[in-house]
Amino acid sequence: MTEELKVAVERKPQGAVLYTKGYINNVGGEEIANRAYELMDDGVRILLLNLRETKIVNSIGISILIEIIEKMMDTGGKIAFCCLTPVIHKTFQIMGLANYASIYENEETAIKELGL
Amino acid sequence: MPLVRRFAEFIHDLQQLERTAARGDAILDAFTRHTPFEGGAVYLRDRDAILRLAAKSLQFVAPEILDCDPPSELTAGADRVLVPLRSGREHLGVLALTGGEYSDEDLEVLRAGAAFVATVIVNQRLSQEAREGDFQLKYRLWELESLYDIGLSITGMLNIDELADEVLFRMISLINARRAALFLRDGGGFKPYRAFGELAVSEADLQRLLETEKPISLDGGTVVAVPINGNNQIIGVLVAADRETREGVGAFEANELRLLSLFANQVGIALENARLHRDALEKQAMEHELELAATIQRDILPKAIPHIERVDIAALSRPARQVGGDYHAFFERENGVAMLVADVSGKSMPAALLVSALHAAVQLLVREGRELGEVATELNRHIHRWSAENKFITFIIASIDCESETLEFVNAGHNPGYVLIGGRLETLKSHGLPIGMLAQSKYMTQTRSFPSGSTVVLYSDGITEAENEAEEEFGDRRLEEILTQSCSAAELRDRIAAAVDAFVGAAPQKDDETLVIARTR
Repeated sequence: MTEELKVAVERKPQGAVLYTKGYINNVGGEEIANRAYELMDDGVRILLLNLRETKIVNSIGISILIEIIEKMMDTGGKIAFCCLTPVIHKTFQIMGLANYASIYENEETAIKELGL
Repeated sequence: MPLVRRFAEFIHDLQQLERTAARGDAILDAFTRHTPFEGGAVYLRDRDAILRLAAKSLQFVAPEILDCDPPSELTAGADRVLVPLRSGREHLGVLALTGGEYSDEDLEVLRAGAAFVATVIVNQRLSQEAREGDFQLKYRLWELESLYDIGLSITGMLNIDELADEVLFRMISLINARRAALFLRDGGGFKPYRAFGELAVSEADLQRLLETEKPISLDGGTVVAVPINGNNQIIGVLVAADRETREGVGAFEANELRLLSLFANQVGIALENARLHRDALEKQAMEHELELAATIQRDILPKAIPHIERVDIAALSRPARQVGGDYHAFFERENGVAMLVADVSGKSMPAALLVSALHAAVQLLVREGRELGEVATELNRHIHRWSAENKFITFIIASIDCESETLEFVNAGHNPGYVLIGGRLETLKSHGLPIGMLAQSKYMTQTRSFPSGSTVVLYSDGITEAENEAEEEFGDRRLEEILTQSCSAAELRDRIAAAVDAFVGAAPQKDDETLVIARTR
């Protein structure tokens, strides 16, 4: 097992999907933030984060994700998550992320609902 | 432009600061656009009340401002104007403006603008503190929920590999560690079982933890190790390294060490559950194997005693719970019957398989009509070649010929058989090594007279070595006393069985008990 986070981006007609693999901590969170802000600067207003290959997230990672959500909300855009492990799903609910970002069980549903 | 309109536009611009963070450059920009000043600088106090430069225009240089307390009132000097940023008694910073002709009216606008900015900054700080407080509250709730969840989740996980992964994931996110490892007890020390990231702990440090039974802190607190207790001893160690902060990594705090210790308690219960489950599975597998072995043996033992004219035959086979390797068989021969008793080394499935091999070979060899010495010699070669090195069989085979009134036998390392001829008890002693021990062993058939009315008794050591609760053996003498009693084969068998049972009492049966008796009429 490794602590390094890898991020991949797939542009969609109406936005983008960001795939994470690994630990969302301070380093991983910043990596996601950098990619998300690049996409926002590029005009992306709907961003789906697919966390299928992420099993751990810590509180620093969560605070960075909240910042990304707030930034996207400032631009009038929307962030959503999909494919969360049950533990991460519960964490997002307790930490309030679920109040500002939609959470979908799978990517297919998310893309359809978000109109990506 | 009328003052009111100018001021309204200025305030409108300053209101934009409310939407984003009130950064120094945005403040300076608003003030230079709506007043005659061309440049300047903004100094803001940080959380520790230290005044720091937040923004400045290129030409402005006034390092001395940082060395003084901000003025409490607007100060208009020859080359610059200093405007305090205050909210009530709180000094938030100072705005320095320079370059440009200004009027008293401009100074009034500056005062009002500075008061507005100060309020925005205070509001934003309060809002930020409220958000951080909310985050911390939620985070504490999440910690509690996590501990509760972990208890439920991991104590239900019975696969130790899955459990180890879950333990690492949970502890990493619980205490914001960057790396973590799980060590499990291995004899007098510990062995690394799972790790997230590279994390080595010296043997000496782990040993210190084992001796003190207390958490240890290493490398200035950036690495912590806590013991996992289970079954009244330390069964493992949880190690975490590099507590993450927004700025990087640092040492763990007392709160995290306490959380990790609470977590280790849950892990201890979970590991014990997994161990008990694994033990139960192993026991189940062993019982299944025993059952299978017992079935194999049961299936190859004679289902019925053969009816031979002029020979009265009885047999007893009592397998021990832990399957041993006793085997017996009868073969009808032209003028009588052959019978054998064998005991293979080992127990359980390996013994059952060897009995099975013996059964197949002996059936073939005897039914081919070979004489007993040849049967034993061939059997020895076969078993030696095909069975494991340390596997052998003690074996006695005896064949009664009612016509010639003789008894042929081969005893390969087995207990001596008995013959009772005319009230006199004699033994059929071993005259060769057990079957399968040496490839070149050869066995010769022994022949002796066996007049009508004689009895032959073959048995396994489970009879003579049956133990009572005082761990005394039944022994040859007790057996011999019964053998001299005059009765039928079946009655003799029942008397021996009853005597063994009476002697053993409540002690458990340790070995298979086999007894074969034949008496000629």
